[in-house]
Amino acid sequence: MAGKIQSLTEEERTHLLPLLSNAQWVEVVGRDAIYKEFIFKDFNQAFGFMSRVALQAEKMDHHPEWFNVYNKVQITLSTHDCGGLSQRDITLATFIDQASMM
Amino acid sequence: MEERLEERAGAAKAKPSRLTALQEQLICALLGSGLSRDVLVQAMGELERDRASAGAERGERGDGESSEEGEMDFPPPIFRELEKLLPEEAAKLRAEVDQLLQEDPWHVAKMVKSYMQQHNLPQREVVESTGLNQSHLSQHLNKGTPMKNQKRASLYTWYVKKRGEISQQFSNAKHGLGSGEEQGEETRKGRRNRFKWGPASLQILFHAYDRQKNPSKEEREGLVEDCNRAECHQRGVSPSQLAGLGSNLVTEVRVYNWFANRRKEEAFRHKLALDTPFTNQTASSSHPNLPQSPEHGVKYSQQILCDSLSSARGSLGDRVGRLVVSPIQLEPSHTLLEAHNPKLVSSGGPLPPVSTLTSLHSLSASPASSQGLIMASLPSVMSLGESSLLIGLASTQAQNVPVINNVGGSFTTLQPISFQQQLHASSQQPISHHLQSHMGASPFMATMAQLPCHMYKSDSPQYHSSSLLSQAMVITDSSSLGTLTSLTAVRQILTADPEEQTGSPLQEDSLHLQQHPPVPASSESLELYPASQTTESHQSHLLSPSTTDISSYIPTQMVSTAQ
Repeated sequence: MAGKIQSLTEEERTHLLPLLSNAQWVEVVGRDAIYKEFIFKDFNQAFGFMSRVALQAEKMDHHPEWFNVYNKVQITLSTHDCGGLSQRDITLATFIDQASMM
Repeated sequence: MEERLEERAGAAKAKPSRLTALQEQLICALLGSGLSRDVLVQAMGELERDRASAGAERGERGDGESSEEGEMDFPPPIFRELEKLLPEEAAKLRAEVDQLLQEDPWHVAKMVKSYMQQHNLPQREVVESTGLNQSHLSQHLNKGTPMKNQKRASLYTWYVKKRGEISQQFSNAKHGLGSGEEQGEETRKGRRNRFKWGPASLQILFHAYDRQKNPSKEEREGLVEDCNRAECHQRGVSPSQLAGLGSNLVTEVRVYNWFANRRKEEAFRHKLALDTPFTNQTASSSHPNLPQSPEHGVKYSQQILCDSLSSARGSLGDRVGRLVVSPIQLEPSHTLLEAHNPKLVSSGGPLPPVSTLTSLHSLSASPASSQGLIMASLPSVMSLGESSLLIGLASTQAQNVPVINNVGGSFTTLQPISFQQQLHASSQQPISHHLQSHMGASPFMATMAQLPCHMYKSDSPQYHSSSLLSQAMVITDSSSLGTLTSLTAVRQILTADPEEQTGSPLQEDSLHLQQHPPVPASSESLELYPASQTTESHQSHLLSPSTTDISSYIPTQMVSTAQ
């Protein structure tokens, strides 16, 4: 990856995290990451959602940690390179929210 | 999870009527990811094609010969096309094989054989992939020897598969895809089949050799083009779908090697000609000598014949008579005849063991078969047959050879012998001793038995060294052979006939049997016959039906039905 990914600055955090919190994103205890759980009508929906997210993740080159069981998808976002949250996580989180609406 | 997503992403294109919810989702995801519909559809098409050919290849391989039946479990079952290819393809194959099994085995054998000839496929390949015995296979295909159903099934399975592979190779060549290439022998054995020249290419090469023995690189490349075009034509595909030729693709190297080999052959032939001058001029004088070294000489002459035949091959188109040229030493002496294994044919190299020509004579030795396969003991001769330059006699599939019957009243007892025409690989054909059996009727006739006329492979009756007979045969065009009824007539014709007598009086002229209108005989040839003192006795000998002396008879001239 070209250029070191910067962790979110305090300013950004105070600016952006509340928005995510409103969207049901939770800060993980013990690490600098955010988490959300999605529940869908059935597996197909869930997996379709995951596909969309996956395609986007590939495009962004930023991948989530996630778990799926049938219609449930649990996602944790964090940036490995900087050991915490970065702008990419925010962007992806936003996208994920949109994708889950489709 | 990641992998699954990738698989899903690459899923087959949607068919609205059959789309599952998940597929819908995936498609939506794909479309939502920025893919346009067109790009997606196009990509799908390409992916399908690649997967299909790869899958078909693997599927067919997996669904192998009887020894390895069973579907291969191709990894991505998501691809419906692939799934269809495996079980469906396999089912189709089996269905066709079953259908072939119902048909008349001989008909199917002919079909398979002609396909193999057309595409120049070696029997070895069949044997390796079916586990059949090569001898059994050869006999089944060529002679109709029965084969059990299970074995036939494996043969037909190979055939159907191979047909599919080859047509795929051709169509891949068209599309520029190389996916179908690595199949069959290559992947199994790690090497391609040995290259083999097809008859069409050989014709082209011999013509070119006749013009110039040492072509330049450009000329060779031109020949490469011509040969490949001819080979494609023979297989019924448009030229420049070269990939389908597979291991039999003609390359510049092959052409180069072919010319080099022909030059070597010719040099060797000249060398032999120098080594054995005894055969040439003296006729009967060498009579006593003959028994000593007949075989030797015969061999050489045979070789010479072969070589000249092969060289003549190229010029056949122009000078039919040339075939005749090379003297074939007929060892009239029974010693020779018997000495040699009556089994003629050798599909060996250009210098086959001679006696094939002469050994036919031994009546006792050779079993008569009604199948009059005249064998060309000379491979080169055989090739002559292949080139269809042979006379009209050769052109018929199976015909009774009237010649023998007509040669003289004494021959009438001969039953017509049907000759099978073998245009391809006739060198493998057994030499017919058939004539002999028929010949048995009269001593003379007996001697008539076989002249290796195999050149024309199937048609030229083999006639004995008796020059009379040979001459008679020679002289007449195949059509006119029947008209020969008197020996005297024969003699007359003889004198008038031969165009070139190049060589030894001990000439076997089976070659000469040709339908081409005889070229006015050059006087030299005439001389050989009437002029040679040595032949006098022979002449009379010849003329007389009595064959008492036949055993010691030495044909004195090379009768060539010059054309």
